[in-house]
Amino acid sequence: MSEFTYSNWAREMEVYGYDSMVKSHCRMCHGGCGVLVYVKDGKVKKIAGDPDCPINHGTLCTKGLASTELVYHPDRLTHPVRRIGPKGSGKWERITWDEALDTIAERMLRYRDLHGAESVVLGYGTGRENEAVIYRFANLFGSPNVLTAGHFCYGPRIATSIITCGSNPIVDYENHPKCIMVWGNNVVISNPDCYKGEPFSLALDEGAKLIVVDPRLTRAAARANVWLQLRPGTDAALALGMCNVIVNEELYDKDFVENFVHGWEPFVQRVNEYPLERVEEITWVPRDKIREAARLYATIKPAAIQWGVAIEQQINCADNDRVLMLLMGITGNIDRMGGQVLFRPPNIRNVGQFGAHGMLPREQRDKRLGGDMFRLASRFSIINPKCVWDAILEEKPYPVKMLFFISSNPVMTRDNAKEVYRALEKADFMAVADFFLTPTAELADIVLPAATWLEMDYIADFWKRHGYILPRRKVIQVGECRSDHEMLNDLAHRVGMGEHWWDDFEKALDWILEPAKLKWRDFKEMDFLRGEVAYEKYREEGFSTPTRKFELYSTVLEKMGYDPLPQYRETPESPYSAPEVYKEYPYILITGKRLPGFFHTENRQAPSLRELHRDPIVEIHPDTAGREGIKQGDWVVIESRRGRIRHRAMLFAGLDPRIVAAQHAWWFPEKKDPGHGWAESNVNILTDNSYETCDPAMGASSVRTLLCKIYPEKT
Amino acid sequence: MSKYSLIIDDELCWGCRTCEVACKQEYEHKIKFIHVQEDGPRAVGNEFIYFHRPTVCRHCDEPPCEGACPESAISKRDDGIVVLDYDTCSGCRNCIDACPYDSVGFDEEKQIALKCNLCHHRVDRGLIPACADNVCLAHCIYFGDPASIHEQIERKRRKRQTK
Ligand code: SF4
Ligand code: SF4
Repeated sequence: MSEFTYSNWAREMEVYGYDSMVKSHCRMCHGGCGVLVYVKDGKVKKIAGDPDCPINHGTLCTKGLASTELVYHPDRLTHPVRRIGPKGSGKWERITWDEALDTIAERMLRYRDLHGAESVVLGYGTGRENEAVIYRFANLFGSPNVLTAGHFCYGPRIATSIITCGSNPIVDYENHPKCIMVWGNNVVISNPDCYKGEPFSLALDEGAKLIVVDPRLTRAAARANVWLQLRPGTDAALALGMCNVIVNEELYDKDFVENFVHGWEPFVQRVNEYPLERVEEITWVPRDKIREAARLYATIKPAAIQWGVAIEQQINCADNDRVLMLLMGITGNIDRMGGQVLFRPPNIRNVGQFGAHGMLPREQRDKRLGGDMFRLASRFSIINPKCVWDAILEEKPYPVKMLFFISSNPVMTRDNAKEVYRALEKADFMAVADFFLTPTAELADIVLPAATWLEMDYIADFWKRHGYILPRRKVIQVGECRSDHEMLNDLAHRVGMGEHWWDDFEKALDWILEPAKLKWRDFKEMDFLRGEVAYEKYREEGFSTPTRKFELYSTVLEKMGYDPLPQYRETPESPYSAPEVYKEYPYILITGKRLPGFFHTENRQAPSLRELHRDPIVEIHPDTAGREGIKQGDWVVIESRRGRIRHRAMLFAGLDPRIVAAQHAWWFPEKKDPGHGWAESNVNILTDNSYETCDPAMGASSVRTLLCKIYPEKT
Repeated sequence: MSKYSLIIDDELCWGCRTCEVACKQEYEHKIKFIHVQEDGPRAVGNEFIYFHRPTVCRHCDEPPCEGACPESAISKRDDGIVVLDYDTCSGCRNCIDACPYDSVGFDEEKQIALKCNLCHHRVDRGLIPACADNVCLAHCIYFGDPASIHEQIERKRRKRQTK
């Protein structure tokens, strides 16, 4: 076996006759994985993992491997286009980049003159690592309105962790936690923000115990020492119940609690409102199991919580994040080796500085949409989507005239899709930058061809909190596609903001790297840069919060007029909060399970990925299926108070019979009409976006927990 | 002579299906020989049996497909790799019926049988088969000498604390 080594790139080059191999950094999801890109005759022929990359150690996922199918897809948009028919007519003509950017610039300036900069909304979805450059553009232009997924995805983790302990505590997988509690996350499939499944998997190989909190059985749940199969949306109650056990059995870290937390007494009072009898009733999880999990998590050191987005797409969003952090804190796992660490970034200009948040004038900041309502979100430059739709449709509190979506497909991904569609139809002017003509792009006036990760130079993982940055190196050029960064750098000059930008974007990378005394051309030769690693920094420095303590009791939330301690609120549409609705819609619908191959709305046109999932699937317990006359593989209708969609049924015993699980973001690029079937199976036809169903601090909507009925489709 | 095996510890498999796409990439995004199948979930008492099981040709010691092939297109090499020679295959499908693991496929266009040849075009030049070349995040796909693989699997199993 000695002749065989993993990722033997020299041999690979020789055997297949590749012309070159470029090390780069994938971004088919949130990014993270180091890759080896093999090129022949100017085309990417093979993608493999980079065994030297500290993030993925050479392993990859389906999406990274199939990147070429997206990059070279025949339907890919490779030049700018302008719509020549009515919205949604699918009639486009080719234009030049100059025409496209001049038109966009002219519109932006016109709306700013007539209606204020706030009438121009920029947006991104899960982002192509373009977050910072989009904020930079909006802030310097004077618009406080950047519409992202940040109200219900990752933004809440950032906002709540900064106010609680100064930064997002990242699991220190490198030092092998001995107990891992996976909460609302399927890390091995989703490779979520700041994490990859591989190090998690290795920690289990090293002997970690596993607790999984999930309403749905996953392989991790099947392997778990304890699986807590909670009622959807009751996470905060469950976590408060665990806190209750830890406090009352004195399993907490006494030194940490005595010296480094703020608000212990009110916290104890709060957790005492959640005795296990009550928690069992709320969560449907037997109290003994809750106790067992709490004891395991609190007594094994070091321990870590691997959290995911599911806890944020709820009315309890901010409190879910906070209460899980409090669990990390009181057990002494914060900033401990092998626990969760407040990693320091490398010494470079950070995303906040590059995003130019300090340059947005105060009077513009005060106009941020929904700023009075969702105050924590607003503090972190995040807005709730409905605020934008209302501003377009009703011009309240002021009109929004122009949308510019860069890597975003809100028709598919934002709650209450019908309203989103209406708003996009009404918008005075809309530009989109994307890879394909998506259902959202089909409503635009101009669509720009965006570059994929293989077509750009950038500092990868710049925005993450794991303490690394890595070079993403441009390998190929496809058509006239341009990276979002270069595109905005160019546009910035055309709207007269050139003084804060660069003559070419490489100089922006130099500017970011400057404090490390590096230029892009030096960094490009490196494997990665890592911030200095240190543990228990709070002993010297305290935490970066107003009290310098780990804030169990949040002084920031208190000042904003929110409950300073986490509490549990019942989901707005549940069997208990809406018993009348429940009579007609007798199942709890959960949504958004992660699938190998897809990244939200992306990749349904890549053949190797689409063949993994041909149709949208709703999972349903065999007993429930029997009762509703549904058989394996049937097309079924899922209906909520807001509309109906179709999925195919898969019988799945790993769910409570009272719950069904649908998938999100399904559209059908193979349907050539301009709608591409956006409303057929789009789970957001079913979801609600009314303000009162949103988390009061972050504006997160409850897209993952609602009530539905389900029945066979009539043929 | 070294013996080569591809062994997958499906206790560790997460069902991420990366191995499938790695295989597909090797065969120019046209075909793949490894498929991850879901087994369960089935409730047994208070527990669930729920696995993802990658299925691929096992390169059997006594391959039933070899005996079933009237053209002698299938043969087991001395190093253990069972190779189906596409040039010799006449497309009779006998091997498909003979395989107890459902691991032989069919190319409708070319009218020939297809199976995993353990990337012998790679192995013979010192490269690890595509699916086993460190793509798997669970590190549960092993290639090489079967005895030492089984020993590694056992060692890892003893260390684990999960179910
Ligand atoms: S996990 Fe993300 S970064 Fe890694 S290979 Fe997959 S898509 Fe790329
Ligand atoms: S790559 Fe590994 S974990 Fe993923 S499906 Fe294949 S064997 Fe399972």
